[in-house]
Amino acid sequence: MTTINERRSAEDRAVERIVLRTFANTTGRDGEPLRWTVLDDTPVGTIGLASGAAGLCRLDFVKGDEHFVGRLLEAFGDRPLLRTPGALDEVRRQLDRYFAGKRLTFDVDVDLSAVSGFSLRVLQAAVRIPVGDVLTYTEIAAKAGNPRASRAAGNALHHNPVAIIVPCHRILRSDGTLGGYGGGLDKKEWLLEHEGAREPSLG
Amino acid sequence: MDHNARVARLLAAHGIELARHLRRLVRDDDVAQDLLQDTLLRAHRALTRLGRGANERAWLYRIATNAALNHLRDRKRERAALERHARERNGAAVEPDTLDTDRREALWRRVAALPERQRTALTLRVADELEYDDIALRMGGTAQAARANVYQAVKRLRLEGIA
Repeated sequence: MTTINERRSAEDRAVERIVLRTFANTTGRDGEPLRWTVLDDTPVGTIGLASGAAGLCRLDFVKGDEHFVGRLLEAFGDRPLLRTPGALDEVRRQLDRYFAGKRLTFDVDVDLSAVSGFSLRVLQAAVRIPVGDVLTYTEIAAKAGNPRASRAAGNALHHNPVAIIVPCHRILRSDGTLGGYGGGLDKKEWLLEHEGAREPSLG
Repeated sequence: MDHNARVARLLAAHGIELARHLRRLVRDDDVAQDLLQDTLLRAHRALTRLGRGANERAWLYRIATNAALNHLRDRKRERAALERHARERNGAAVEPDTLDTDRREALWRRVAALPERQRTALTLRVADELEYDDIALRMGGTAQAARANVYQAVKRLRLEGIA
C-alpha cells in the first residue's frame, strides 16, 4: 500500500523535474540543483539557507526572499534553484536548538567548495574554535599557516559563505574589540554573548 | 534585468509551487511544463510593462490558473488557424473565417521567418499535435531540445506581439 508520504514524494519528484527542465529550457541553468529557504524572525534576523548534494553551502543574513535569491543567482551561475524548505529541515532544527540555547554545536554537512587556498584554511580553523572561545585575527591567520596575514584572514572570514555554523564570529581584534562582521556587528555581539564568550553589554 | 535573470528569479522563488499547482490542474507533466513556461513568459512581459506588483505570488497563480483553464481552448484555436492556412497554401478554396486576415498573414510571415528548427518543431507540435518524443524522432535530437525549440519559437512570436 502506498503511504501518503510516498505519494507525496513521488509528486515532489515530478514537480521538481518540471521545474528543472523549465530552468534548463528558459535560462540555460542545467547544473546541480540548489535548494533554498529563508528563516524569518530568528534572534539574529532573517537567514537564508542553501544546500546542494554536498551539503549546506550558504547561510546568509538577508533582507528577505528576493534579496537571497538574487545573491544565489549571482553566485551560482549555472545552477537551478528550488525552493524546497523541507530539504533544509534538519539544518533548521539544529539552528532552532542553537538559538534556544539547548545545543550550541552543529552536526551539518557543510560544502565549502566555493572557497580555496588560504581562505579555506582560515574557515577550517574557525570551525575548530570551541563554543565560548575566541581567537584574534592574527591567531587564526597563524593557524591557517601565515601569522602575518591577519588582514587576509579577516577578508576570508568576511566572505564566509556559511555563517554561524562556520563560526567566523568567534574571531576578535587583539584589543578585544569586535572587528568586523558581514551580517552586522550587532549580530556578532549577539552570537558571542549567546555562546558565553562575552559579557552581555549594558544598555 | 534581462530576460534570463528575471525568469530565473521567478522560477527560483515560485517554480515549485506553480509547477505543483499546474500539474494538479492539468494532470499531465508535459502540459504542466508547457504551461509553466507560458506563465513565465506572460509574467515576464507583464513585468516589463508594469513593474513588480506587491503580491507577486498571487498574481503568478492567477496567470498560471488562467493558462491552464485556457489550455485546451487555445490549442484548438491555434490548430484551426494553422489547418486553414495549410489548406490555402495547398490551393484549396479559401474559407471565410473569423480570424482577422491581416493578423493571420502576419502570424505566418513570422512563423516562416523563424529559424528552421524552431519553425519545424512548432509546426509539428501545434499543427501535427505530436508529443516531444515524436518530434525528436522526426527532427533528430532529444525531446528536451524539441521542447526548447518550441518554447523559443513561441517566445519569439509573443515578443513580436503576434501569437
